[in-house]
Amino acid sequence: MSHDYKAVQWTPFKKRFDTWMLGGVLVYLIGFIAISYSTQPDGDSFTPIQALMRATGTLAFLMLTFILCIGPLARITDRFKPFLYNRRHLGVTTFLIALVHAALVMLWYHGFAETNPFVSLFISNPRYDSLSGFPFEVLGLGALFIMFVMAATSHDFWNANLGPGLWKALHMGVYVAYALLIAHVALGAIQFEKSPAYVALLAAGAGLVAALHLGTGLASLRRSARPEADGWLKVAAVADMEEARAKIVRPAAGEAIAVFRDGNKISAVSNVCRHQGGPLGEGKIVDGCITCPWHGFQYRMEDGQSPPPFTEKIATYATRIVDDVVYVNPQPNAPGTQQAPSQIGATK
Amino acid sequence: MKRAHRKSHLLLWLLLGPLMFAIIALAVLNRPAAPINDALPDTLIEDTR
Repeated sequence: MSHDYKAVQWTPFKKRFDTWMLGGVLVYLIGFIAISYSTQPDGDSFTPIQALMRATGTLAFLMLTFILCIGPLARITDRFKPFLYNRRHLGVTTFLIALVHAALVMLWYHGFAETNPFVSLFISNPRYDSLSGFPFEVLGLGALFIMFVMAATSHDFWNANLGPGLWKALHMGVYVAYALLIAHVALGAIQFEKSPAYVALLAAGAGLVAALHLGTGLASLRRSARPEADGWLKVAAVADMEEARAKIVRPAAGEAIAVFRDGNKISAVSNVCRHQGGPLGEGKIVDGCITCPWHGFQYRMEDGQSPPPFTEKIATYATRIVDDVVYVNPQPNAPGTQQAPSQIGATK
Repeated sequence: MKRAHRKSHLLLWLLLGPLMFAIIALAVLNRPAAPINDALPDTLIEDTR
């Protein structure tokens, strides 16, 4: 819980999550291969490597689709917050599964010639001007390369050294990787798998991911109500302020503001976590501290500072309550500035 | 996310969303009657004959 690379430690919950995740991976791979063999028509020579190739390929696609759905879904329902907290482990595991898939493909289709397998991958099929004959493996390799960069820089060491802004921008490359993966499957497997189920699955995955990201993206750009005459922004009626939770206010300029209620106190801080820019207003108050829903970074309500020994600071904002309605001043105080909370029930 | 990241995130998906569906549609519409890609597994090619 700090702005250095020791932030996210192993916890019993993370260990349980990883155990379930690896168990699920094994069950899928074994189940896929078993079903492939049991449903194989007589006379076919389906090899174990081909079965594993398909199993790892489909699993990597499904896992990446799920990973990209976690962020938007966690903004809609708290049920996905545990996945959000463990998303990096899912991502690295997905990369490793995709790497096994790629290694099997290289071995099986390009590993037995005198030509270097990587050279063979690029020159064996030069039909870049064809849709149905496009060398789709190159698209998969592009996606794998991006996923490698994501996995290699996933540790907080890189977040701390690159800075949250650059790190976040770099990791948005996973969206491009997903588009490459869609193209890889569409121009590869879809060209010979005639069952409409495969097309439906691919389109459903792409549609779900795109719709969730576009929907939450558009929602997050919505502006709050226009400011009052003195420039303050209306937040909500006191009765609508949920205990230990926040309302997010988006001023016309500057970053979003998270306005929290803790008992009878109302305080406002920047909605942007110092760690990876997580939406603090979607978190809650734990042990008296505002807790980021992404990785658990914490800040005190009264001054926006992380409790000792941590040193992160975020901006605070003045609040007021008039006629049982909460308002916030959109002008931020310097990060870490003490700001007295508004008291519910007190006149101001 | 900061406002700048939210905007670039949205712009990226406004581009990638339609692009992904265009690729899927073109790939399905241009599927050959029989596989012609040399990189496909032999057994799969035999499956479709």
